[in-house]
Amino acid sequence: MRKENLSPEKIYLKDERFRISFNFSLQKMKNSLQEVGLINPPLVTVRKGRFILVTGWKRVLACLELSFPSIPVEVSEGEDDLQNFLIAIHENLAFRDFSLVEKAEIIHKLKNFGVKTNQLIRDYLPLLDIAPTAFSYEKYLALARFEPELKEVIDEKNIPFSVLQILSEFKLQARRLVLPLLTPLGQNKQKEILEDLQEVSLREEIAAEEILKTPEILEIQNSEKLSPLQKADKVRSLLRKRRYPSFSSWKESFDSSLRKMRWPKEIALKHSLFFEDENISVSFSFKNKKEFEESILKLKEMASKKEFNEIFSWASQ
Amino acid sequence: MTKSSPFPQKVYIEEESLNYPLTRRILKNLKQVPREIIRNPQQVLKRLQNSRDAIGEGKKYLLIAKQKGSFVKPCPCTPRYIGCNYFIINLVLNCPLDCSYCILQDYLSHPLITVHVNLEDLWRELDIFLGGRKGKYLRIGTGELGDSLVLDHLTENSEDLISYFRGKEKAFLELKTKTVEIDNILNLEPAENVVISWSLNSFKIAEEEEKGAPSIEERVKAAKRVSEKGFKLGFHFDPLIRYSGWEEDYAEVVKILLNTVDPLKISWISLGSLRFPPPLKLLIKQRFPHTKVIHDEFIKGKDGKLRYFKPLRLELYQKIISFIKGCGGGKIPLYFCMEDEEIWRKAMNWVPRGKEDVENFLSP
Repeated sequence: MRKENLSPEKIYLKDERFRISFNFSLQKMKNSLQEVGLINPPLVTVRKGRFILVTGWKRVLACLELSFPSIPVEVSEGEDDLQNFLIAIHENLAFRDFSLVEKAEIIHKLKNFGVKTNQLIRDYLPLLDIAPTAFSYEKYLALARFEPELKEVIDEKNIPFSVLQILSEFKLQARRLVLPLLTPLGQNKQKEILEDLQEVSLREEIAAEEILKTPEILEIQNSEKLSPLQKADKVRSLLRKRRYPSFSSWKESFDSSLRKMRWPKEIALKHSLFFEDENISVSFSFKNKKEFEESILKLKEMASKKEFNEIFSWASQ
Repeated sequence: MTKSSPFPQKVYIEEESLNYPLTRRILKNLKQVPREIIRNPQQVLKRLQNSRDAIGEGKKYLLIAKQKGSFVKPCPCTPRYIGCNYFIINLVLNCPLDCSYCILQDYLSHPLITVHVNLEDLWRELDIFLGGRKGKYLRIGTGELGDSLVLDHLTENSEDLISYFRGKEKAFLELKTKTVEIDNILNLEPAENVVISWSLNSFKIAEEEEKGAPSIEERVKAAKRVSEKGFKLGFHFDPLIRYSGWEEDYAEVVKILLNTVDPLKISWISLGSLRFPPPLKLLIKQRFPHTKVIHDEFIKGKDGKLRYFKPLRLELYQKIISFIKGCGGGKIPLYFCMEDEEIWRKAMNWVPRGKEDVENFLSP
């Protein structure tokens, strides 16, 4: 290792073999550089007469934007790419956590640098806080193969691994179409959309991208009136109905009976989860005897309506 | 256990199991299969850990071990559904067959096919257990955590078990299988309280989802031979699986079964629809990426397992029951595995008050 002063423009940034960080903002780094200058020199190595950056991407890119004429660098004289890459990993690990996309990149690069699968699973996955299993390994590799623009969104929106795991099972076109639907939603609903889409696709033997291109879904997607969250919720509801056709139709009949009866809103009437249990429950709140009696009267009135029996029709089949 | 890859490829023997008669018998029957004496199965399990398919890999090896806990346990059944008061003998754990839907993939703690060889402890435990039941009916079997007969050519356990139970009043032994490993049974005198039973499914499901298992025709033929020898029979249509054309396919199997086997020789038929704990779904997706059986309208049941939406289950059961009745099986005792009161009432027209009622119904 030797020290040298170098124009940042002399660093050949097109060679990203050691790069781990991709999506970051340079503003804070630029502020720091303007305030106190470059304290920690980036690490470079030389390949075919060119300076290749090993660590310090944020620093070098910020220096370039600030037009620093010359910066101090450490030059690694090792010719082993894997050794240099390990330096990059450990240097980063010392002061920050990796994002999921970064972990995927690291695994992919370790594989390309010739680390055997077994060793990668056994030694490197735990280093990255990943369970040392073949399954995790494959899922991260699949994520590494995602398109750059998708990785960017995933990083930006912090989409969790449990969701990415399912997303990685879709083809590129489906991934592109479904990602905008995921970003406005929370983790549970993201998973719900992906699982429903996948189930429908597998059961009906229709590609996921074709399902996402049906006129109903396209109309929602192209609507100018709906917000991204409203669009996502509407598509989610459509997919749910398609995944659970029998349940949805039973639920619709149940709800329609309540509507026909003009069931009072202040009294909750609920069937069991997925109608798995025959019991129906009623709940209401009251502050005094008068309110209690009013609710009882309303319930009696409901029970006397001829439509009341319809809510049990699903159970009498 | 496919025809191309005979089971086992290797046998591991726990050091402390070496001197049991059953160990010697298995090793004698295994002949040239490579063997290794081990102190602890963890040695082998560690090697399996990095495999892409540890469950599939484990199915290649036989572990001879000592049962350190109890052999006899109540069948775990499932919470909030009606059980049948069945008891299980944990003699063989896991199975070399590789059915896509198999619960054992998720249920067992390790993937090695394990035979417990300390039979003397089993007999002692059974003596105490049966003695404590004071003349109450008992149905007990070895086919819950493994196939009762798949290793019978190696263990010859059927002979020991039938000999033990012969003449034990009110204790019914069930040996449940998907195989045609009946040679040892055919050499035995039948016993009144022994039921040999087969898990059946449609031809399509057997062919596509029950890797390594004999065809339905072969199973039914084996049942016929066992019945002709004088043994009682049982059948389990479990898991019933919906797909396009299931009605015709199950009707055909029921027809073949009841045309081949005398319905009066059938002690019971159980029905159960496909159900599985959510983590098993992921395992099935990984191990059997082409299977479609897990992608139907499954909802979360009262026990947290995924099962068909209730009206779909009811339809399955009502149809199968009508096929059985329509083919001359009207007098065969039918029961559900892990279903609730509503399903019993709507499909069977009666509701057991609890598992003891089911047990009494199935006992002669």
